[in-house]
Amino acid sequence: MDATTAPHRIPPEMPQYGEANHVFELMQNMLEQLLIQQPKDPITFMIEHLQRDNDYVPKIVILGPPASGKTTIAMWLGKHLNSNLLSVESLIAKEYSSLAASARTHYQKFQTLPNMLLVRLLQERLREEDCVRRGWILDGIPETREQALLIQTLGVSPRHVIVLSAPDTVLIERNLGKRIDPQTGEIYHTTFDWPPESEIQNRLIVPAGISEGETARRLLEYHRNIVRILPSYPKIVKVITADQPCVDVFYQALTYVQTIHRSNAPFTPRVLLCGPVGSGKSRQAALLAQKYGLVNVCCGQLLKEAMADKSKYGEMIQPFFEKETAVPSYVIMKVLKQRLDQQDCVERGWVLHDFPRDRDQACLMDSMGYKPNRVFFLNVPYDSIIERLTLRRTDPVTGERAWALGLSAAPGPS
Amino acid sequence: MAVTLRGRLATSQFGAMEAKSSRELQARNYLEKHRIMELLTYLTSALLFSRPEKPREYLISILEQLRTAKVSGMAFPFFMDNSNITAMFQMLDSSNKGSISFIQYKEALKTLGLCTADEVLKDDGHGITCEKFMLEVNKKTQEICGKTKGKDSESYRSAAELLLLH
Repeated sequence: MDATTAPHRIPPEMPQYGEANHVFELMQNMLEQLLIQQPKDPITFMIEHLQRDNDYVPKIVILGPPASGKTTIAMWLGKHLNSNLLSVESLIAKEYSSLAASARTHYQKFQTLPNMLLVRLLQERLREEDCVRRGWILDGIPETREQALLIQTLGVSPRHVIVLSAPDTVLIERNLGKRIDPQTGEIYHTTFDWPPESEIQNRLIVPAGISEGETARRLLEYHRNIVRILPSYPKIVKVITADQPCVDVFYQALTYVQTIHRSNAPFTPRVLLCGPVGSGKSRQAALLAQKYGLVNVCCGQLLKEAMADKSKYGEMIQPFFEKETAVPSYVIMKVLKQRLDQQDCVERGWVLHDFPRDRDQACLMDSMGYKPNRVFFLNVPYDSIIERLTLRRTDPVTGERAWALGLSAAPGPS
Repeated sequence: MAVTLRGRLATSQFGAMEAKSSRELQARNYLEKHRIMELLTYLTSALLFSRPEKPREYLISILEQLRTAKVSGMAFPFFMDNSNITAMFQMLDSSNKGSISFIQYKEALKTLGLCTADEVLKDDGHGITCEKFMLEVNKKTQEICGKTKGKDSESYRSAAELLLLH
């Protein structure tokens, strides 16, 4: 077998660096943009893309029935994330654009916009520098499935889609109390969101189209459309109920928007299980190793194996075991290092328990370069531990543990 | 499947819009024409091998080097010299009989990015010796180099994605 077909020995620093710097996501984003834009000169495009560094700017779509609070939430999110808010009104109101001017005339006559015009307006706006740098939040766009498809073919894809929902009766009633401040454009409500300053109160006007009949008609149309829009965004939709105080809705939306979706990056788990004696570490480690194909590294076991093999580390450890004192950390670390550097640990990942036992050992392990990426602390109350340990029995032949009184597992909390 | 369904819906509603499957073909052709996947593989391996503190700046510097090499037609900074070619031949010829089989030769050229999977190479039945290997590699690299000179060239040297790890 010549060198080109033999398996490569990959030093563990490489996957660790890749995970720490999110190399996979970086390349994936770059490839996505290359495929969408298909520039004539890919190298210059890639240089510009890397310099822009806007992989994680907000790209949010907020959908919901009328009176659900979309615009309010969108505005608050925009202020909080320092991002741009785009809605049909804001797109039409744009100055210095011939598209926007023609859109305005159309809207005045027919109260709606043709899909293609709206999408082209959107495309124009999204190309501007501030949207590229700070991201965007779409309020109520796309309104129909055709718009969703058109947006998709342009290569615009949001990372988070929030759908507000509430029962129709609540919405119809809520809409009756809607008031708008003509100066700032903010939306207030007579019952739920009344501005404290009296000068704003005096300014507020009643917007058109909030009668019950009108709202009911718009709700019907919304329900017809939303069902066909949602399948365009599988996996990134979150439905938040709008029938709660707007601050709660806002916090839920904000938490969701700040989560990063799971990526397809290759991931080797390096799990650390900590916990007191009797908390079930070795059993959990065995189960994890079996389920995910990891290597189960039990420190106590390693040391005993080293002694049984009579390796040079085994000789060092022997006297400590005989005197029943703790083995010094640096010896344990050497044995552990030998095990963790082996190819199967590097490739499949490992689950480690029984080490480190104190802060110094943890620092030592960290400095040697073995950084776990998942750490679990198994928390068991003191009484349960006593109970478990007194009932624990070990089968000397198989080495398995069992519990007295015929229990198949450790007793649970009483 | 949902993608092609949506594409068909789209074509039924908007005749001017292309179906999704032809866009997919277009995308694939684009990838092949500019050899994007080889470039990305090369960038990723360079990044993982050198592990710089600032990955974006490092990637930008590699890309700029590539760009100047392409524009000026200068010798590409990561070009494989004759000692590398000999070393590679020796790795392939593990039993030291002095020649490698045709299949090995073709695989090696594919790894270097000097020939595509369906290119037909002459097999004269004698096996490839070291000198012949070196000659062919140099010849093919010159060919690809020749294509990169000039403003309207679109391919660039993918001898770049060399075995940095070996």
